Amino acid sequence: MATETVTLSGHIVDSLLLAKVLDTIVDAGVTYELVQVDIGRTNTDASTARIKVDGDQQVLDRLIDELQLHGANRVSPGTTTLVAADTEGVLPAGFYSTTNLDTDVLVDDQWLSVENPEMDCAIVITDDTARTVPMHRVRIGDRIVVGSGGVRVHAPETLRGASVFEFMSSEVSSEKPKALIVHKVADRIRAAREAGLKVLAVCGPAVVHTGGAPDIARLVEAGWINVLFAGNGFATHDIESNVLGTSLGVSLAEGTPTEGGHSNHLRVINEIRRHGSIAAAVEAGYVRDGAMAACVRNGVPFVLGGSIRDDGPLPDVITDTAAAADAMRAHVPGVGVALMLASTLHAIAVGNCLPAGVETFCVDINQAVVTKLADRGSHQALGIVTDVGPFLGHLADELGA
Amino acid sequence: MAGLAWGRKYLMCPPHHFGVLYEINPWMHAEVAVEHDLASRQWTDLVATLRLAGAEVVTMDPQPEVPDLVFTANAGIVNGDQFVPSHFRHPERQGETEIDAAWFAELGFRVERLPAELDHEGAGDALPFTPESGQTVLVSGYSFRSDAAAIPELGRLLGCPIKAVQLVDPRLYHLDLTFCPLDERRAICAPTGWDSYGRTVIEALVPEPLWLEEDEALSFCANSVVVGTTVVMPTTPVRVGRQLEAWGFTVVESPVDEFLKAGGGCRCLTLSLDTVLTP
Repeated sequence: MATETVTLSGHIVDSLLLAKVLDTIVDAGVTYELVQVDIGRTNTDASTARIKVDGDQQVLDRLIDELQLHGANRVSPGTTTLVAADTEGVLPAGFYSTTNLDTDVLVDDQWLSVENPEMDCAIVITDDTARTVPMHRVRIGDRIVVGSGGVRVHAPETLRGASVFEFMSSEVSSEKPKALIVHKVADRIRAAREAGLKVLAVCGPAVVHTGGAPDIARLVEAGWINVLFAGNGFATHDIESNVLGTSLGVSLAEGTPTEGGHSNHLRVINEIRRHGSIAAAVEAGYVRDGAMAACVRNGVPFVLGGSIRDDGPLPDVITDTAAAADAMRAHVPGVGVALMLASTLHAIAVGNCLPAGVETFCVDINQAVVTKLADRGSHQALGIVTDVGPFLGHLADELGA
Repeated sequence: MAGLAWGRKYLMCPPHHFGVLYEINPWMHAEVAVEHDLASRQWTDLVATLRLAGAEVVTMDPQPEVPDLVFTANAGIVNGDQFVPSHFRHPERQGETEIDAAWFAELGFRVERLPAELDHEGAGDALPFTPESGQTVLVSGYSFRSDAAAIPELGRLLGCPIKAVQLVDPRLYHLDLTFCPLDERRAICAPTGWDSYGRTVIEALVPEPLWLEEDEALSFCANSVVVGTTVVMPTTPVRVGRQLEAWGFTVVESPVDEFLKAGGGCRCLTLSLDTVLTP
């Protein structure tokens, strides 16, 4: 599929030129979008329309030749400007700032597809490839795209199997039937697995507090979760609940605070630090069950990113945030579905690294979290406002984990 | 009735060098000889007819290397003291542009030009229609000789609305073979020369069109010169003449058969110099 944009100007409404051009596009079997239509205010003012057409490149080439007859011209993509970075970790001024959408760059008359679409990065060109680069990873001499000339961004395609999206119509709502939603999410996870894509879970500590960690373990063991991102809190409470039966000192069985429980998580972190890593503690038999142990036993990679509020932290936690983000980036290619589970800030951080094509489900009891994720640019995120613990139980059941 | 507001002063070019020397429309056949004396007589008769109808005629000097200079309608577009010279599609006529531009510049016209890459063949492909509302609209044909993309550029230069109409019959390759404004309500229209969108546009613009049948259109009767209420036609199909007279127009026939051999009629031999498109 290729995309081209044409512009048409003049008295295109009165002359029925716009109608004719649109009819011609439809007759060619090509879909179009009116990107911009400026209608003149008086009958002496000219009008302008920008029309985006999507279709097979050959069909588009023929169509655009035909449209040219009516005065509709292909919008020139402009020329790509490349400037070599002259300082480590510093982009050339005026660098092109990326979106999370599929993007192409015109280099030597060839459109290169930008690898690893990620928002708020730059585009670096090496030989005949283009890829995103976060600011801190730019090296002296890297050829960086400056300005927006020669860059084209593809609008998000209708996601594979639109049914669930139509059903939810990207609205965040607490009033959707949950069983049906769980069923649809399970369908998308199955579809991702069939397509050879990975499922990413981003877990907040509330997953443990609400009793969802054993379900994460079930999903990991059954191969439904293929990579896990979390912070110090989730991993700590998951381990605490398995070693001491409490989460943040509250008994998961009784629901009541245990005596001296407020320090339970510190003691657990301390022991893991003694072992040197979560994997070592699992192997030594200190941690027998839970989400983290399941990841270790099943070889499911996890990245724990640190924060300034962390106790300990666990030895696996990457406290350099730029390094943590890079570690997450390494696992992003191949992810088809992302589950953001009761995690506000971590979900936003991960959302920033994901291409727009990743189907993202944000499960939280707080409606604001989902809205926040979308506001930060992850427009593909669909919100499910519910208690994450029962949700995960239903999801694991639905998937037969 | 007042008739047409413009069309009282024309530029013409004597046919000293006229001949069918190349073929750039379906009417031209290089093997068909033009009778020079007859052509000259027909041209002189047309000048006399126009003057008799009350028009002033001025002439420019013919040039041997550009025989089609005689078709002054294609020189460009006049708007008050502004002149936009044509950009011709065929190399055979491209030499006319600078000759026309120089002539108008010498007379004190402001010569403003279209972008070099866009073709537009002047009043041959663009005629004004002023409906009762008073807002003059330029109707411009495109496809055979003029680019649709030239039309918005022309609109910017002239500052008047332009309605673009696609020409679809190669025999009616210029708008002035399909459209002849008569007054603020009427025009001679050859719908077979336009696509369906173009017909709709003209229907919306002209309250009382005189629709031509195909054979009438191919007689070039739409390629007429209107001076007030006098319509000077190369030939007059009976039905067309009756309708025009019923509307109160005087129809005068001025045969130009020798020029029809090159695909041009009365209108093609004239360029109105008193056209004002913007108030």
